[in-house]
Amino acid sequence: MTQPDSYLYSKEHEWLKVDGDVGIIGITDYAQDSLGDIVYVELPRLGALVKQFASVGVIESVKAVSDLFSPVGGEVVEVNTELDADPALVNREPFTGGWLFKLRLADPSQRDGLLSAADYSALVAAEH
Amino acid sequence: MTDAAASTTRRTALYDEHLALGARMVPFAGFEMPVQYAGILKEHEAVRKRAGIFDLSHMAQFELSGPGVGAWADALTINHVANMKPGQARYNIFTNERGGAHDDVLFYRLGPENWLLVVNAANATKMWDYLNASLTPGVKLANRQGRAALIAVQGPRAAQIVAPLLTDEVQRAAMRAMRYYTCAPAIFGDVETNEALLARTGYTGEDGFEIFLADGAEAPPLWRRLLEVGAAYGLEPAGLGARDMLRLEAGMPLYGFELGEDISPLAGGQRWAVKFDKPYFVGKEALMVQASQDEYDRFVALRLDGRVPPRTGYRVFAGGECVGEVRSASLGPSVGAYIATALVRKSASTAGTLLHVEVRGTLHEARVVPLPFYRRA
Repeated sequence: MTQPDSYLYSKEHEWLKVDGDVGIIGITDYAQDSLGDIVYVELPRLGALVKQFASVGVIESVKAVSDLFSPVGGEVVEVNTELDADPALVNREPFTGGWLFKLRLADPSQRDGLLSAADYSALVAAEH
Repeated sequence: MTDAAASTTRRTALYDEHLALGARMVPFAGFEMPVQYAGILKEHEAVRKRAGIFDLSHMAQFELSGPGVGAWADALTINHVANMKPGQARYNIFTNERGGAHDDVLFYRLGPENWLLVVNAANATKMWDYLNASLTPGVKLANRQGRAALIAVQGPRAAQIVAPLLTDEVQRAAMRAMRYYTCAPAIFGDVETNEALLARTGYTGEDGFEIFLADGAEAPPLWRRLLEVGAAYGLEPAGLGARDMLRLEAGMPLYGFELGEDISPLAGGQRWAVKFDKPYFVGKEALMVQASQDEYDRFVALRLDGRVPPRTGYRVFAGGECVGEVRSASLGPSVGAYIATALVRKSASTAGTLLHVEVRGTLHEARVVPLPFYRRA
């Protein structure tokens, strides 16, 4: 699965899709593949104010717990409640249905600290 | 992985097969092993519903021979060895003077003076050194780890998959008639192996077979043929990730988690394997004291019905007081809940007790349940 060109990416394998002043955040296909079967996702609270690159939750696979980082800072306005009953949705649709949370961007210029799809591809290729 | 790690990690005879199947490989006990192929949950389901095939060639296989093996082994282990009959397999634990465990093992008696001893890969060096230092006249010991191979086929359809590869109907009938924890020579005429050892043993809680090949070079053709024949039965390759999930559901201990140099078989739940009627064995006195005082911390099985997974090291509480910590933990798909083992003080260990596991600062309910979590139909 190649990563969408219109998204931005973090070194921690999250993606950000910006829609006006709201950003949608998820983890990449590379991340879900590395984690394996995801069994539990702990998302930030609605209304929480998160800082860029801070740890905001947890993604657990069968074998490991991984911190979830936010690629940008802002106020959490929505979380993906589908993942309560179906955490494996993150494995199946990491870039679409398996989105994690949405936030209102505190500072749109923080996007400059993220990677383009091409740069992210290069990062992944180097990690292999 | 650094170059140093790459150069010291060994490969089993089936390494290329795993790569060809798209396995994710990890270093494990000095070997590059498949942790998963299609995914841990899919592989777990295959074993419970159909069959899975495992490469266990990393495990240490020691050949024991001579007239003194039974008595020698009886002095070093908790369970009976000398009274095993040829064709029998038996679980056992080598103990230290404190009653702790050096390793848990399987003995396979092949004949009056011939045995195979299978030892955990992680303990291979420790056990090899210990057994050699303890040898008595009448016992010969040889190590075939790395040269030999071990393939396991586990699941309700295992017998149907293994049968066609045996040479003739006599062998197939014998295989079907094998009782659990027995072993016998077998020849896989379909792929022209030399004599292999076929055992009806396993680490999953399902029916299944373990196939021991003295010559690892015979493993790839057998592996491929089993997958070919097994395709019609839904056989899938399964890795160490699924293996751990399956054994935990089946209530089987893993050395380093439920057993260790400081964890006795009494604490670990293997009281059934401790034969105090043996006149002597290493650690017998310590175990007798433990058994009579009955104060030791012991393992409990925990079932968590919430959404939050328990993990190794998380603390366990009873009524607000920390009483131990989680050892093994996993999702138990066959159980429909998260499952774990924990070493806790005796007062918290009765079945039905409600305990709590601390996950990132929050307490989550965990019920003490009897083992096993899962039993095959």
